[in-house]
Amino acid sequence: MFQNRAESLALVLPATLFAAIIFIAPVLILLSEGIRPAGGWSLAPYVSFFTTPLNLTVFIRTLKLGVLVTVAAAIIGYAAALCIVNLSAKGRGRMIGLIVLPLMISPVARTYAWIVILGRTGIVNQALEALELTDGPLRILFSETAIFIGLLQLFLPLMIISLVSALENMPRDAIAAARVLGANWLQVFWKVILPLTKEGLVIGGTLVFTGSLTAYITPAILGGSKVLMLETLLYQRVTIANDFASASVIAMILIIMSFSANLLLKRLATARAKR
Amino acid sequence: MTSRILSTTILAVVMIFLIGPFFIIVAASLSAGETLAFPPQGFSFKWVLKVFEIESFRSSFVMSMMLAIFGTLAALVIGTPVSYALARYKLPLGEAIRTIVSAPIIVPGIVVGLALLRYLVIPFGFNLTLALFLAHTALVLPYAVRVVSASMANLRSDIEEAAVLLGCSRLGAFIRVVLPNIRGGILAAFILGFVTSFNQVPVSLFLSGPGIRTLPIDMLAYLETTYDPSVAALSALLAFMSIGIVFLAERFLGFSRYV
Repeated sequence: MFQNRAESLALVLPATLFAAIIFIAPVLILLSEGIRPAGGWSLAPYVSFFTTPLNLTVFIRTLKLGVLVTVAAAIIGYAAALCIVNLSAKGRGRMIGLIVLPLMISPVARTYAWIVILGRTGIVNQALEALELTDGPLRILFSETAIFIGLLQLFLPLMIISLVSALENMPRDAIAAARVLGANWLQVFWKVILPLTKEGLVIGGTLVFTGSLTAYITPAILGGSKVLMLETLLYQRVTIANDFASASVIAMILIIMSFSANLLLKRLATARAKR
Repeated sequence: MTSRILSTTILAVVMIFLIGPFFIIVAASLSAGETLAFPPQGFSFKWVLKVFEIESFRSSFVMSMMLAIFGTLAALVIGTPVSYALARYKLPLGEAIRTIVSAPIIVPGIVVGLALLRYLVIPFGFNLTLALFLAHTALVLPYAVRVVSASMANLRSDIEEAAVLLGCSRLGAFIRVVLPNIRGGILAAFILGFVTSFNQVPVSLFLSGPGIRTLPIDMLAYLETTYDPSVAALSALLAFMSIGIVFLAERFLGFSRYV
């Protein structure tokens, strides 16, 4: 440890000033527009945002999709992670590599694939038609279902990785012990696995949930101009209506959500460090 | 035995869901047909070749490359000293500084883009390219600080103190002792930053103008008007590029250790 104060300040000053001026100040001014719409203090933008039916629908849809995607990711994530930790060390490494890989690929490319799959003449509709299950093509694209599928594919890897590392830290014989003592699989999951891996679940869940709430690309490609989420709504409000007050309200909602998620993660990390 | 079959089936289904769409993109981009379809109609490289002929893709690719390279370099130039200072000095406001430089992770990109457009570009006449560069630097800064900090944490301070005691200046010790030791971390931070910046969409949404667009934004715009397989071909090419970068990084520096 060095003690020279001037030296240390010189090292941190450029980045701190940069972040403060380029990043924090403009964002704070933007947020202030929601509470000072015409120069005077007022909560009018918030009131009008939450009393407009369209905005409310989008707000609720965003939360709903966030919850649904997180729950689905948790269920699939546990199933996949339990299978992965039972593999040999080599197989496990390969599997994790394959799961991490999509995270490096452009989300536009990953989301775009679903147009080919879910579109009017896409694979799903072709299959349904071949099986004569539907008259005419189903409209899956540009719906909440399409966004749900796209978000799940985008963020599932984060959940699987968090759960795999939680399961790896779990005492190896806990499951076997519970089985020997007569617990069925459901009881093993509920009473042994879940409590011992809940930290991993919270970490993965937070990443998936905030990722889904703040998604832009997925709703933009798979939701079209009708099925909006908060970020696509923000974009529309600004580009179509020049409505910066609403944009500021949405920005505040998004920041509060991802800030609380980050706070939760930080507290988990410090709690773990103390143990 | 049955549990083994069940486990293989679960993993196979999950992998098909995660990676399958990528193969469909590749197949669709090799189609000879005029519209996006799977199974592809015929086989040809014409859409892959067309990607290189579309002028706007070429210029936005260059733009995205430049932003990713120089934005990440800039973030490393200002971020590495912060990681170093946080690891080596008793800073009076250490936690606050860490929070400030990590803030871009918490604020959604679209908000950053809008704020920059409205309070830097419009009132002060910043040009869009500069604003994009600043936005991408801010975006990458938290990753740079985090990854470099992680490799600073593994570096004991006594070799550096030894260098100083033996007459090396503090800066000299940093350049000759610390930098070579955290080289891997810096490279990993560069790759992570590059990929993050290159794939980023929301932050650049509002910071686009005539002739100034990043590649993903350009792809989104192209999608709105055209339904041919060229975006599929471009997506496939980009995916191969990312896979190549990650593969090389893993091969030569064990990238996953750092991330």
